[in-house]
Amino acid sequence: MSVDQIPNAGLLEYEAVMVGDKPTVTSRTWYHWLLLTAVILFAAVSVGFVGTIFWSSFPTWAHHGFTLLTGKGWVSPDGPFGGLAMITGTLETSLIALVIAVIIGLGTAISIVFFIPRRFRTVVATLVELLAAIPSVVYGLWGLLVIAPWMEVTVNPWLNSWPFAKGIFGSPGQEFGTSLLLASVVLGIMILPTFVAISREVIAVVPQDLMEASLSLGATRWQMIRQVVLPTAKIGLLGATFLALARATGETVAVALVAGSVANAQFHLLYPGTSIAAWIATEFGESQGKEISALMALGVLLMLVNVCLALISRALVNRQRRILAKV
Amino acid sequence: MEQEIEIMTEIKSETTQVVTPAVRGAIAMQLNNVAVAFHGRVAVRDCTFDVAKNRVTSLIGPSGSGKTTLLRALNRLHDLTPGAKVSGQISLEGTDIYRGNLTVTELRTRVGMVFQRPNPFPTMSIYDNVVSGLRFNGIKKKALLDESAEASLRSAALWDSVSSRLKVAASNLSGGEQQRLCIARALALDPEVLLMDEPTSALDPIATLHIEELMKTLKSRVTVVIVTHNMQQAARISDDCAFLLMGEDRAGELIEFDTTEKIFNNPDDSRTLDYTLGRFG
Amino acid sequence: MSDLIELEELPVEAEHSMREEIRRVSERMRGRRVATSRVMVALCGVALVVAAVPLVALLYQLFDKGLSQIDWSFFTHLPETPTIIAPNATGGVSNAIVGTIALTIYASIVAIPVGVLVGVYLAETESKLATSLRVVSQTMAGAPSILMGLFAFSFLVHDLNIGFSSIAGSFALAVLMLPVIIISTEIAVRNVPNSLREAGLALGAKSHKVSLKVVLPSSITGIVTGCILAISRAVGETAPVLLVIGGGFTNSWQPFDPVSAMPLAIFENAKSEYPSQRAQVWGIALVLVIFVFLLSLTARIWASRKQQVRN
Repeated sequence: MSVDQIPNAGLLEYEAVMVGDKPTVTSRTWYHWLLLTAVILFAAVSVGFVGTIFWSSFPTWAHHGFTLLTGKGWVSPDGPFGGLAMITGTLETSLIALVIAVIIGLGTAISIVFFIPRRFRTVVATLVELLAAIPSVVYGLWGLLVIAPWMEVTVNPWLNSWPFAKGIFGSPGQEFGTSLLLASVVLGIMILPTFVAISREVIAVVPQDLMEASLSLGATRWQMIRQVVLPTAKIGLLGATFLALARATGETVAVALVAGSVANAQFHLLYPGTSIAAWIATEFGESQGKEISALMALGVLLMLVNVCLALISRALVNRQRRILAKV
Repeated sequence: MEQEIEIMTEIKSETTQVVTPAVRGAIAMQLNNVAVAFHGRVAVRDCTFDVAKNRVTSLIGPSGSGKTTLLRALNRLHDLTPGAKVSGQISLEGTDIYRGNLTVTELRTRVGMVFQRPNPFPTMSIYDNVVSGLRFNGIKKKALLDESAEASLRSAALWDSVSSRLKVAASNLSGGEQQRLCIARALALDPEVLLMDEPTSALDPIATLHIEELMKTLKSRVTVVIVTHNMQQAARISDDCAFLLMGEDRAGELIEFDTTEKIFNNPDDSRTLDYTLGRFG
Repeated sequence: MSDLIELEELPVEAEHSMREEIRRVSERMRGRRVATSRVMVALCGVALVVAAVPLVALLYQLFDKGLSQIDWSFFTHLPETPTIIAPNATGGVSNAIVGTIALTIYASIVAIPVGVLVGVYLAETESKLATSLRVVSQTMAGAPSILMGLFAFSFLVHDLNIGFSSIAGSFALAVLMLPVIIISTEIAVRNVPNSLREAGLALGAKSHKVSLKVVLPSSITGIVTGCILAISRAVGETAPVLLVIGGGFTNSWQPFDPVSAMPLAIFENAKSEYPSQRAQVWGIALVLVIFVFLLSLTARIWASRKQQVRN
């Protein structure tokens, strides 16, 4: 449930209204001041949160300008600091992960809502939420110690036997178990529970009588889903997609463990790579001064991308809610 | 408003011509000892009656008497509900709809349904809504879709007001227009039977009157079965009437089935009389 | 009422031929439609299985490889660094467990009161400040957790120069927990029916008394649920603590000492060159996951208890 659906109580303005048109000082008690202190503290923290990271990144923007976005090499400890490899890595891994999660997740959500017997539905929903609660470092650990060796021995040679494999995956023999592809797959598995949980809710609130109306017109179950349920839930599903994308771009330690941690701007999926967040995590320990500032600048980038995605997702989910309120 | 009331009494006097079951003619649907249970709890039972062709049959009774449950059994909507079980026999033109040689999609194209709440598909235009049933059934020929859309919108008395804005989202229509759109949507498939589940309960009196008038004219081409809460409505529009009541074990059962005229004027069962006179319910 | 429905009947033949064509086409297409539906429904089922396989495999391997690592000394001993002579000497992980508990407690001490108070404020007032803080907390709730680490580093470790420490890590975790607590508190408080508030005010109570004595007790389950979920998130987070806690090798409860944490130990040792250390990581992961699951389940039980009370 979202906050926006429940009306504001306005209890704390009650006495102000009783006293007069304007809130008067006499109506404020110690409790109001306590609340206000906490609010100011939180406001200060959130301003400090954004401000400090921006401020620490300032030297980098001043010295290197936008080469941070376009430069290819990353040389510790004095630069130049090019973020292209991290940016492309983030894009590649999170988009592939998104495709995996959306295709599998949509089918899963549909199955949970329509085809699983009702008494198992709560169990499955609880399970999905528990899976979403598994710390990302555990997914990373599993990817690194279980999937990476398997990829190296079994999957990679098989992928390399595909036509055009060299263009997509890179030259045979140079690929690794830990790679952009592995990072994408692990990310996809990680964001799957989040996507399923939200899209399940979005699909479940499509009004029952719309579905019955389509069935009463002779639609098959799939026609009902494809032509009535999914279009009605479309915007909310898009919101879920953006939220999943936001999670994928911000994911840090799992990618740091399984992507291979190499700052190399390229598109071969079986070569090692990194992402913005993962690079901050892997480099931070050994960096000082200028490099820290450059990593902070990457953090600014990450923050901007994430805020945009989060706002888009929020707007979409709210719009879906308004649409359904009208139905 | 006075004029309206006059019209209503006129309608009533038309429908109250004495028609005995013997001269009711062909039968569209036959119910034989039908019962519906959810997870073993019986919701409605003992329903045996015939739905006569090209007449309006109303199901009346207090809430909880299983009217809607019974109606939904007629186009197998309970198939969706886990734990629902329909027993007894329901046949459409002599074919058993649950066990006979009739797929559920075919049944539903032949037995249409209009719901309590006007529910046009929110993502579709007026036109797309009307032809949605045809499209579900695989009809793609533009000429046929256009022709059928116009015919069914005319039958639902909606053509004149929407013909110029067919591509507009259906949610822009008023409640009464939306309900007529839903009727047009069901009519586009040219069903033999049209089920209506309290189709006017969400509408204002004027829109209700429009829909009632529409039903009377529709029966020349389609058999109508309507659930209604409103006894005056049942008296005004229906030819036959089934009265259901909740039994002592909270399961609805059929008390009496006859022509509307008899049910409202001279019922066999005293409970029917009590209900129609408004002594309970 | 002259505009009341004028019916225009189609010619009977035209209508008849149309019905024929509709029935014919629909008859012809039915088999294919039903088959398509079956295939797509089956594909959805396949998607469910595909989604379940890696997640089930992950849980299975976690228990399979993790259980054997856990014994008494796992919890009580400090870690040792394996050498070529003693490649299996991994010791225990008591420092990481102590560190995680310390970090979580310190973070909760700050985040829970502040978060609850801010949540109450957002729920009970209507102002521009409240609206903007609501958007801020919702955006922060989804922000990548490494940013909290960057914040804690530049503010505490760098600017205030307090060094890599437990307190810096708790600060990062507190910033992470705050929005979660704020949002769930606001929802819980708003969910309290207004009639309760009005009843209190009608009895002549001041608004702060009503808030403290009526509204907060009625929303306590929702608030507690939110706090537990926030804690369970904080316990498992690696990225924010990775940058600031310094990875200490002692069991320290001191706020200004460098400490370790379970997620950090997993992250560091997963890349170890010693198989014994890599194996031990599964044990830490298992303990961590059980910890997180227990917290999530507790939160769920609280939430369902709340619903029972409602009903």
